[in-house]
Parts: sequence; C-alpha cells; structure tokens
Amino acid sequence: MNTAKRKIPFGFIDDQAKREIRRSILKAIAIPGYQTPYSSREMPMARGFGTGGLQLTLSLVGRQDVVKVIDQGSDDSVNAVNIRQFVQDVCEGVQTTLRTQEASLIQTRHRIPEVPLREDQVLVFQVPYPDSLVIVESNEATRKCMHGEGDYSRLLVKLYEDMVHFKKITLSHRYPTQIHTHYVIDPSPIPRYDVPRLHQAPNLFLFGAGREKKIYAVPPYTEARPLVLDDIPFEVEDFTHPETGDRYCCEVCGSDRSFLEEFKQADGGSVWQCSDTDFCASMLEAAEAAEGVI
Amino acid sequence: MKPILDVKGLTRIHGKSCDGCLAATGPKVGGNQCPHCGSIVACADVSFQLMEGEILGIIGESGSGKSTVIRLLYMLDQALAGGALLHGGEESAIDLMALNRAQARQLRDRHMGIVHQNPRLGLNYQISAGGNIAERLLMSGNRRYHDIRRIASELLVRTEVPVSRMDDFPGTFSGGMQQRVQIAKALSTRPRLLLLDEVTTGLDLSVQARILDLILELQRELGISMIVVTHDLGVIRLLASRTLVMKTGRIVESGLTDQVLQDPQHAYTQQLVASAL
Ligand SMILES: Nc1ncnc2c1ncn2[C@@H]1O[C@H](COP(=O)(O)OP(=O)(O)O)[C@@H](O)[C@H]1O
Ligand SMILES: [Mg+2]
Ligand SMILES: [Zn+2]
Repeated sequence: MNTAKRKIPFGFIDDQAKREIRRSILKAIAIPGYQTPYSSREMPMARGFGTGGLQLTLSLVGRQDVVKVIDQGSDDSVNAVNIRQFVQDVCEGVQTTLRTQEASLIQTRHRIPEVPLREDQVLVFQVPYPDSLVIVESNEATRKCMHGEGDYSRLLVKLYEDMVHFKKITLSHRYPTQIHTHYVIDPSPIPRYDVPRLHQAPNLFLFGAGREKKIYAVPPYTEARPLVLDDIPFEVEDFTHPETGDRYCCEVCGSDRSFLEEFKQADGGSVWQCSDTDFCASMLEAAEAAEGVI
Repeated sequence: MKPILDVKGLTRIHGKSCDGCLAATGPKVGGNQCPHCGSIVACADVSFQLMEGEILGIIGESGSGKSTVIRLLYMLDQALAGGALLHGGEESAIDLMALNRAQARQLRDRHMGIVHQNPRLGLNYQISAGGNIAERLLMSGNRRYHDIRRIASELLVRTEVPVSRMDDFPGTFSGGMQQRVQIAKALSTRPRLLLLDEVTTGLDLSVQARILDLILELQRELGISMIVVTHDLGVIRLLASRTLVMKTGRIVESGLTDQVLQDPQHAYTQQLVASAL
C-alpha cells in the first residue's frame, strides 16, 4: 500500500468526477427546472450540510474565481464559515469574499442575496429536498411521470385545500415554482420574498441536492413563476406593522426594503434586522460615509 | 344516431401469452386461463359501438372481463390488441388505444369520466369532497378558485350531496354519498363519455334506486353517452337501451336490452335470466 499522502486535487474532487458533474450541470441548464441525476461524491462533511451545493461549487470554481458563502443570508454562521474555509483549503489561490458584488460564485443556503446579481455571477443553492411533488406524492416513479407530463394539478389542489381550510396559502418556504412554463421546482427553503427574484434574473441559478443526487437550474433570463390559482394572488412575507401600516425597518442599518428577520425581545416586543448581513453592513457603511461627508 | 365510440377487437391478456391463448379459452371452453402458458385472457376480441346519448349495458358474472373493458377504455391499462375510436364533435376520431400517457390523461380529463365500484379508487380521502372535484377541474385547466367553488357546489346540489358537506373529507360520508361525490367529480368537466363500473353494488336498495334515478336524469338532461357495467339484471333493465353479455372475456350476446332479456339466445344468457327470476 502506498503510504505517501495522496495529494488533494484542486477543488478536492478529481477531474473525472468534476467533468461528470459539469455534464449534469449543462444538461440541467439545457432543460430548465429538470432534476438531472448525478453521482454524488463522498464529501468530508455529513450530507445535509450542503454537500450537494458544495460539489457544484467545487466543480465550477477556477483559480480566477471569487467565492462567497452564505447561510440564511449570513456570512458568519458556523456552516458558512466552515464551507468557506474548506473552499480556501482545497482551492489554492481562490479568493473568498463577504461582498456580494465582488463574488463570481456564491454558494447559499435559504436566501438570495439582497443586491440583484449580474450576468457574470452564479448562485449555487444547497437543496435539502429537490422534488416539489413530494408533498403530494410519495412514490418517486410516479413523481417522474407527473413531472414529465407537467401534471401539477395535485399541487394546485393543495392550494385549493389551503384556501378551504385556512383561508390562505400555508406554503411559505420551498414554494413550488414553475420554470420556463414546464417543470415545477422546489426552489429550496428560500422565503417567498425571494421567489419572484428567480424570474428573468440575469444570473444563472444552480441547485444541488447531495442526498437525493439531483442538480437543476434556472438559467439566466428564464421565466420562473410561483404556482398559483388564477384569482388568488401570490403574496410575499409582510413586513408592515398591522396597525400603523408602516413597513418595519432594520434595527441595524435602517433599511425598509430588505428581507427582515424578527427577534423577539424579553419585553414581548420585536426587533427586526436584515437577514442579508452583507447588505446590512453595506447600508451601514454607506450611511456612515454619508454622515462623514457632512 | 351517430356513434361516439367504435370498439374493435379489444384484447388484454395477463401473463406472457402464447399463440394458443385465444383458441384455448373462451365461452366454448368455459374458462379464461390458457392451458398452454397459464396466462389469463381478461378480455378478447371485444367489439361494439356506443351511440351518442345512449346508455349501453355490459352484464356478466364476476371475472367475465367487464372491468377490464372499462379500464382499457379509460386508458388505465394497455391493450394487447384492438382499437377504440372516440368520435369528437369537430375533431377527427381518436384511437384511445394509440395515445401516449400525456395524451391519454388530457383526453380523459377533458372528455371522459369514470365512477368505480369502490369509491377508494375514484376519490382521494386526504382531501375534501370539493377538493376531489377541484382536482379534476384543475387538471382540465380551470385554475380559478372561485369558479371551482361555484362549479363544485352546483355539482353537489345536482347529485344531491348537501353543499354544507363540501369541505368535509369523503371518508366521513356514507357509501351512497361517496358514490354521488364520485359522480359529481366525473361530471365536473362535462364529459361526453361516462364509464360506470358497478356503481350501485353493495349499497342499500333504496340508496341504489336513487342513484340509478340520478344516472337516468343526467343522461336525459345532459345527453352524456354512458357504459354501465353490472352483474345486476335490474340495473341493466332500468338503464340500458342495449346490452352486451360477457363470459370468460368474450361478448357472447348483444342486442336491445328488452330482446336480450325476453328472448335470450345464448345458453349463458338464458341461465343468467332464469336465475334472476
Ligand atoms: N392484474 C391482473 N392480473 C391477473 N389477472 C387479472 C388481473 N386483473 C384482472 N384479472 C383477471 O381477469 C379476468 C377479468 O377480470 P375483470 O375484468 O375484473 O372481471 P369483472 O369486472 O367482470 O368481474 C378475471 O379472471 C380476473 O381474475
Ligand atoms: Mg369488475
Ligand atoms: Zn440592515
């Protein structure tokens, strides 16, 4: 047995495997929203910790890339920090950043960055459940047929039943979204607020599910529509005060247009903060710079 | 009268089947299992026409192949041989046996309805009665919630299900009421062809009578063409203008219902009529 320490290849995954994953990515882009199977590799972290997204990132990353990793909008969470560190360790020469605008490749869990992305940027999602139909059909073979035929009536029935029993649509995260008028994807647990931002975006969105071994894509400038009943409008999260009707502002930066997270206070009240930490920091910097000028 | 459905040579065999299957089974032999290869000839060489607005009866003992014919026509199973031309209003006729899955689903959702003997086959018990009707409307492309609510409640009124039960789950309904919900669901897309497979079997006589009345009314009001499968002569007598008699997967006799019942030609039909008297 060879006792010499095996050299870890650039990007951790060997070239052969990368090529295979890239082929699946190309197929996924060519068939928008289609869940393309690929052979998921063992990664030095447990499945469920973004191994699907990480394999996409590592297959795509080149030495000129600048990588950003976010977890629910935050660059600082343990998960984001670990993945960023891992990318740094196995991709010699690759820069990482916290700044959305500086990044060429962004791996994310559960959010789309607040700042609109550009054509030269790629957003990679970590996906826990790739199939939008699991909530209505447990058999995978049947689901495949339903996707093939574009038969999403049972998801629509779910919306009907929601209206009947709850007077509103209860689906919040993982909102079923129809891509290019055919396949309905699970856009991963992003909030509803982010769903319309998939529509006709200049950048490529890639989705990787490690456990389920699936890759799918929303290519640039592609139609992405939340599945709705025609006369029940799609609604995003509501950040307005129920009495005053004013929109809540971020406690830190003062933004009144970003996606906010609610923090319950001991006194029973709530404090709201941007979920996108980079956006929040940028807003704060801009505000401070403006003050400095005065 | 114009035909809405032209069925020719429908055959379905369970098992690998051999050259001898058809000759070695059938009413003359008295069985439907091939002695050479063991396959079951569920139906063979079934041919008939259904006219516009007509109710055609299919009668025969259990295992004679009635449900097989219905399942083939509703495209739930694949035929080994044969065709079934559905004549459309303006469109040219479509061979139901030649459609792929997606085409079959579309046609079924738009132009056909089915009511099964067992409501569990026709209804989803996880969703409300109204949701079951909604599913079919949604499949056929109607996505307006308020429209769907209105149509579903009208259908429930028409099939005599209390509208107050619309948002309840079918599992909480009586057997007769579940069949009514199935009928409402089948009618929701105004099908031209309705397939009814033993829809009153197992229900109380008074409940049976009211559902049979409903079926007759629907035929008169809406002019829907129907195939009614049963092993009950009373149902055939009440509903069907013409009747096919099936045995061991074959049609052994067919004609106007009155003639078939009053002057049965085939020994099997004679036996069937005699035993019902
Ligand atoms: N999936 C199957 N596999 C094997 N045999 C079957 C299957 N389904 C039906 N059969 C057989 O086909 C014959 C016709 O069945 P069916 O059409 O259900 O009769 P009917 O509805 O007249 O009672 C029966 O002998 C039945 O046992
Ligand atoms: Mg039967
Ligand atoms: Zn902020």
